[in-house]
Amino acid sequence: MKLYAYCLVEDPDAFDASTRGISGATVRLLQIDELAVLVTDFNADTIAVTRENALDHAAVVRSVLDRTTPLPFRFGTLVTEQQLRSYISARKPALQTRFAHVRGCVEMSVKVIRELSDEIKTQSRDEITTGTSFLEEKRREILGSEQKTAEAREIETWLHEQVGGLIRDEQVTIRPSEKLVLAAAHLVERDKIGQYKEKTAAARKNRPELHFLFSGPWPPYSFANIELEFKTQFGVS
Amino acid sequence: MSSSFDQIIVSEEWESTDLSMLETLDHVLNRGLVIAGEITISVADIDLIFVGLNVLVSSVETANEVLRKRQTE
Amino acid sequence: MEFSPENPLTAEPEIETAHAEEFVEQLRCVTDTLPSRINIDAQSVEQGLAKLVLTLIEFIRRLLEKQAVRRMEGGDLSPEQIEELGLALMKLESKLQELKTQFELTDEDLNLDLGPIGRLI
Repeated sequence: MKLYAYCLVEDPDAFDASTRGISGATVRLLQIDELAVLVTDFNADTIAVTRENALDHAAVVRSVLDRTTPLPFRFGTLVTEQQLRSYISARKPALQTRFAHVRGCVEMSVKVIRELSDEIKTQSRDEITTGTSFLEEKRREILGSEQKTAEAREIETWLHEQVGGLIRDEQVTIRPSEKLVLAAAHLVERDKIGQYKEKTAAARKNRPELHFLFSGPWPPYSFANIELEFKTQFGVS
Repeated sequence: MSSSFDQIIVSEEWESTDLSMLETLDHVLNRGLVIAGEITISVADIDLIFVGLNVLVSSVETANEVLRKRQTE
Repeated sequence: MEFSPENPLTAEPEIETAHAEEFVEQLRCVTDTLPSRINIDAQSVEQGLAKLVLTLIEFIRRLLEKQAVRRMEGGDLSPEQIEELGLALMKLESKLQELKTQFELTDEDLNLDLGPIGRLI
């Protein structure tokens, strides 16, 4: 018998026993040392990545957010109770550190789309027959991509300047060659959410050439992972 | 590999629901605590490749075997 | 409890954008490369392995190209060397394309999130 694990919580009182999880199963709290895990019973070896399952997962993690800040598991965490106990016991210090880091916060997301100017292909594929013309074409591509990278980094820096004072932590990804040029997760203290929303609303007005998507508040999915600490500690990749 | 999602119908009322689902997916997949174990392949302290253990079971030496098998098919 | 009930969060995360269609289009890519089941089966193991190997090779190939262009710009290569280097890299690109086709992998499948090193190349 497997368990589907949704999230870790520090505060078991935050749990509402009427919560339903994947496939309508009853969510229960599994106490492991000082921490607790929200789980449902699951009797298959695989979980399908469907809209319904993903939303159910998100809903369960969301259900505790009003009263405590959980450490969410990634979608698809199917384990035995034993695996769960081993995992938590082995990583307790790292998990406690994570909890301390996200305590009192939520995650707010920012995504930015910017238009890409059309690539000017100077030579068609058929014309590139010599090694030299191949490299020259690569050079043009690289120059173009360097400019896009500079643009992406500028947006990243600008965004950080806007919200830097209001966030505890951030996870930012930039993709210079794509329309979705930046995706940021911001760890924001709950009493600062109002200010954060004001700041981002104002910031968006200053950059009319960029298209923004703001979402939140979320449980801190992007700040839950402890892999990095684990890696540093043991020097293992 | 095909996805098991419903076809997204483009109409006013579906758009916002789908965006909400996509944003939710973006959060619950690829983020959060991972138990199953992942491999991060680093070179000179720089993380290069992140591989989920669900898809990688054997070592890189067997890559040649896989390629050879494909060629004889 | 951590917080007072007077400051509850909204039931669902709010999403706010003036460009829903555009973001739907961009975010759909998230789902395109997903396995439809989180599972291990023979086919996905092989393909996962091929993907790993080819991604590594692709990464090195791109580095080589960048380096070749830098050398070319640096002016320390003769025209003959540039030609030979270009031809070799051209063949490498074409060979990798063959392998991708053989394993039914697209460029998106091999898309590397390079993280910090993405900023170096």
